Amino acid sequence: MRQFLPFFSLSLLSFLSTTCGATSTTSDTAAADYHEQLVLRPLPQSALLASFNFRSNITVSEFEAHNFRFFPRSLGQILQHAGTRELHLRFGLGRWDSESWGARPWDGAREGGTGVELWAWLEAQSDEEADHKWLTLTNALSGLFCASLNFIDGTRTTRPVMSFQPEGDHPNTTATDTHLLYGVLPHEVVCTENLTPFLKLLPCKGKAGIATLLDGHKLFDASWQSMAIDVRPICPAGGECVLQIELTIDMVLDIDRSKRPRDNPIPRPPPGHELPCNTSKPYHSHDTCFPADHEANQDWTLSQIFGRSMKGTCPLTDSKVPPVCLQVPNSRAVYHSDGVLEKKNLDRISRCFEIKPDADFEIVLPNPRDDQENNQGAITHIVKPETPLLYAERSFTGHGQERGGMQTILRNPSPDTAVEFIYMESLPWFMRIYLHTMSARIDGQSGKDESLVKEVYYRPAVDRARATQLEVRMRVPPASTVFLTYDFEKSILRYTEYPPDANRGFDVAAAVITILNSANEAVYNLRTTTLLCSLPTPDFSMPYNVIIFTSTAIALAFGGMFNILVRRFVAADEGPEVGLAAVKAKLKGRLAVLAKRFGGAGAKKGVVEEVKPVPVADVKE
Amino acid sequence: MSAQQPLSDDSATLTITNSSNVSTKKQPPPEKPSDVRRRSNVILSFWLIVLLLGLPIWWKTTTIYRADLPLEEMLEWADGKACRPVFPLRISIQASALQDQEAQNLLRLTQHALDDLNDFAGHHLRLQLSSPLGSEKRSTTDNGSALTIRLTPGEGTTSTLDPLEPILDITYSPNTIPSPTSSSSSLATYIASQLRSTFAEEQATISYLLSTNSMPSEHRPLSLSPETAESLAKRTTRSLKYAPTYHLTFSLFTSGPLPSSWDIESAIDEYMKPVLDVLSPIHNFTIDTQVQLYASPGVQSQVLNKEDLTSFINAAEWPLSPSIGGAPTINFIVFVGNQTIASADSSSQSWLIPQWGTVYLLSLPSDTIHVPANTLKQPLLTFTSHLLSLTGTPESGSLPLRLSTLARIRSADLLLRASSTLGSLARLAMALPSISIPSSVAAGVSETMSHLRLACDTLGGPQGLEHARIAEAEAERAFFEKSMVGQLYFPDEHKIAVYLPLLGPVAVPLVMGLINEIKAWRKRKREKAEKGAEKKKE
Repeated sequence: MRQFLPFFSLSLLSFLSTTCGATSTTSDTAAADYHEQLVLRPLPQSALLASFNFRSNITVSEFEAHNFRFFPRSLGQILQHAGTRELHLRFGLGRWDSESWGARPWDGAREGGTGVELWAWLEAQSDEEADHKWLTLTNALSGLFCASLNFIDGTRTTRPVMSFQPEGDHPNTTATDTHLLYGVLPHEVVCTENLTPFLKLLPCKGKAGIATLLDGHKLFDASWQSMAIDVRPICPAGGECVLQIELTIDMVLDIDRSKRPRDNPIPRPPPGHELPCNTSKPYHSHDTCFPADHEANQDWTLSQIFGRSMKGTCPLTDSKVPPVCLQVPNSRAVYHSDGVLEKKNLDRISRCFEIKPDADFEIVLPNPRDDQENNQGAITHIVKPETPLLYAERSFTGHGQERGGMQTILRNPSPDTAVEFIYMESLPWFMRIYLHTMSARIDGQSGKDESLVKEVYYRPAVDRARATQLEVRMRVPPASTVFLTYDFEKSILRYTEYPPDANRGFDVAAAVITILNSANEAVYNLRTTTLLCSLPTPDFSMPYNVIIFTSTAIALAFGGMFNILVRRFVAADEGPEVGLAAVKAKLKGRLAVLAKRFGGAGAKKGVVEEVKPVPVADVKE
Repeated sequence: MSAQQPLSDDSATLTITNSSNVSTKKQPPPEKPSDVRRRSNVILSFWLIVLLLGLPIWWKTTTIYRADLPLEEMLEWADGKACRPVFPLRISIQASALQDQEAQNLLRLTQHALDDLNDFAGHHLRLQLSSPLGSEKRSTTDNGSALTIRLTPGEGTTSTLDPLEPILDITYSPNTIPSPTSSSSSLATYIASQLRSTFAEEQATISYLLSTNSMPSEHRPLSLSPETAESLAKRTTRSLKYAPTYHLTFSLFTSGPLPSSWDIESAIDEYMKPVLDVLSPIHNFTIDTQVQLYASPGVQSQVLNKEDLTSFINAAEWPLSPSIGGAPTINFIVFVGNQTIASADSSSQSWLIPQWGTVYLLSLPSDTIHVPANTLKQPLLTFTSHLLSLTGTPESGSLPLRLSTLARIRSADLLLRASSTLGSLARLAMALPSISIPSSVAAGVSETMSHLRLACDTLGGPQGLEHARIAEAEAERAFFEKSMVGQLYFPDEHKIAVYLPLLGPVAVPLVMGLINEIKAWRKRKREKAEKGAEKKKE
């Protein structure tokens, strides 16, 4: 019976998650103007995924009349000024470890690569107008979010063709006056100064509701975190169109690290008797310890991991949506503070809590070993992560400063279903790719497999003006690994184009992988990690060296030529005396003249002085 | 070429022997004259290349482009010499009950009285008699008069300003009409003093504006009393810089979770819109509103002192970012809370923050969820009156009169501002000879000056404001030209470091060659002269 349980719950989970996704998208249009929810999901290896979601609506008529209530005015103004129809902004940090954490939250739709990513559908009559509005948008957002978004210029902007589809309801999406622009800043370091403006956009700020748990110290200490802002128009059938803003923060906290007290943040080895040991090992004794599996150690409280407890709920929120949900199996005991209503969901792997508006909220997850005598493996204490549709890894190959190669390893874990997706790269102009070297091959087979790449959209870079855009539609057969490789050439930059830390290398933005279903709809997104490309870096005192060197060469050549033209050549014994002795004699003569002038008419010297001018006159004749 | 001088140092005798040695030293064969000429030509051609080709190319490639600016003229504008701001205000008199001649006489006398009273040449009231049929409205606006005086016979001499029209109603008793021969009249003096007091504020403001700018002393208008100057200074610092469009942001801030909605749209329509409509010839307004919960003010104390008011706005947390786009933002904040202001007048609930906006403290029952429009009446009326002072509208007089005064004050202000910007630009161009001046700056300057000229000629009229506005915008644009800034940071040491390694080694052989050639030439000349002298002797 126990053997079946994992399988059962797994299939149920996948079934329920798809239905939940479907219901949530249909219900959010009908929902109230504002709602917020926090979903906590313990992950293997002592990690905890916390997904904060805030969603508010404004009707289009209110938006156009500039009457802002739940929708932030600062952002609304920018959208109106830049003619933005749909906006997606992502701040990302860290790496999602899909091997152990499984599928990404929100199916990867609410995350970006490391750094900042921005894409938007703009209303414009021409490409130039769209570029102009894009410039306005990036500059305004840069000010609003304290990020260097204004550095998204033409060289970092692309216009994806296949990878992105609008999420909102646009009256006619194929209209020529809607332009999609995509910009990415992989070098941007996301930090607290980006969180503060983010919290300002919320109706309840950080003062009430789940947003009280958001603390910059904990958020940016996480193993992986992503902040997302999505603005899209939604037109329910028969209702008035609304503009919806969705703010999402996902983070994977390392429980051990989060539980470290703030006043004593330096990790120290625990004393021997506190070490979690695996007692089932035969060699276990008082002086030998085999470390217990991380997964077993999943006890925490809300205030421990977030540094504070939750203060009530935001009064504006939709009362039908429970503010906090926890995804652990129903069998596991969870303690919570008074006045909280716990509701176990039918899927048996999640429960939600209904909280009184002005009471503090706290959850305690006890150590599962304490409440269950027979330790039956970690799988019953946490929900087993869902397997992602595709694993992707990207790395540089090759050596030297002149050429390089890129290799992406794409693995389809499914035993029976092929995966079809669009792989998009937006490469900086100084990486000039050789498109003819692009090839895809299946692991274990030699030679490239032409059937894997179905479609390629390539827009070459223009030096200092445009980035390379490469979109590849691919298919990975079931249970196989595909290597996608291509070579590129590194170009040499101009002296002033190097950043101050030129030897660190140049960040290359993450590749965006959009997995499509049979109806060509995006069902899952993932991004590879960013890469660091090192370019040939000159010594920066070079210009002065070059100036000095060429000047010397020119001066030498000129001096020699000039002297040849101008000097008269005579035999060595015919010319004037040269060398040190001649200089000495001349100097003495000069000194003597000076002595005569200042020393008066000394009788003794007079003899010398009278004679001295003689040779001068002799030679001068 | 110049022979070295082998010198001995031992003794005189040795020197003599040495010198005899030198004289016996083998001499090079005499140079052919063609060789000497060729050498001179080589040196000459090198120098010609350097001077005629090298220097001009170097000059051309390293010179900084400086467009010609009419500096003299710009400074004249800045010093107020180019334009004497004169506001000729026409005031028409409607006296339907009077005989034409009587009316003419009255007008003459009143004008005299006015001229006697007036000591500020820049602000001039010119009376005219409107046609007897001119009682219809159109004529008063068409002939561009700033004010109409309606004289009606009545008991006693009284005057009232019409609240809706720019009309001054004056009643007079019929016996005060001056006879055609009399040289003074009490009615004329009365009208003159009434007019004077009506325009006193405008006069004071304009003369204050002129006096704060660098106007030459002969144009310096009437001297203001220190108190008036102080109150005017206060009012000018309070008002925002002129802009054709202002952005109004209405914000509801609450310290807790409630209230979370308000009827601001209908309240604005009802209480504020009329004034905005009246202001529309001078300013456009765009409006947005927002609700912000859990907004903690910068000061937590229950009773707010005067010092607390300056720090009440919590700029770090409140999302009051100015609007994007060009328009300056005026903030109107309704703060729902139970804080009060400590002042002698206990009823005061609001205060004005100069050049920024207004805060109104509204205390509501703690369970109010929605703020209805009628609760917002008092805040919005306060905002309206503060809006007028933030835009710099004068305080006395009827509304239409205040608005026309505002237009005149604004055009004077813009005119002076543009002039002083021109002056700063001229001084900058003179002070920094190495700054580049792109042609766009020159174009902006000439545009500014042509509009300033037009504005100066039409001061007091609606075109005057428009021209002054364009002139000011152009002047600012020329002054803040981006490419002018970069050149400031190019030090001379840098140039030397770049040029010296090349020019030094090249220049040394060139200069030495020239010096030697000149020496040789002089020597040859002397030898020739000696030879000539010897020949003569022979």
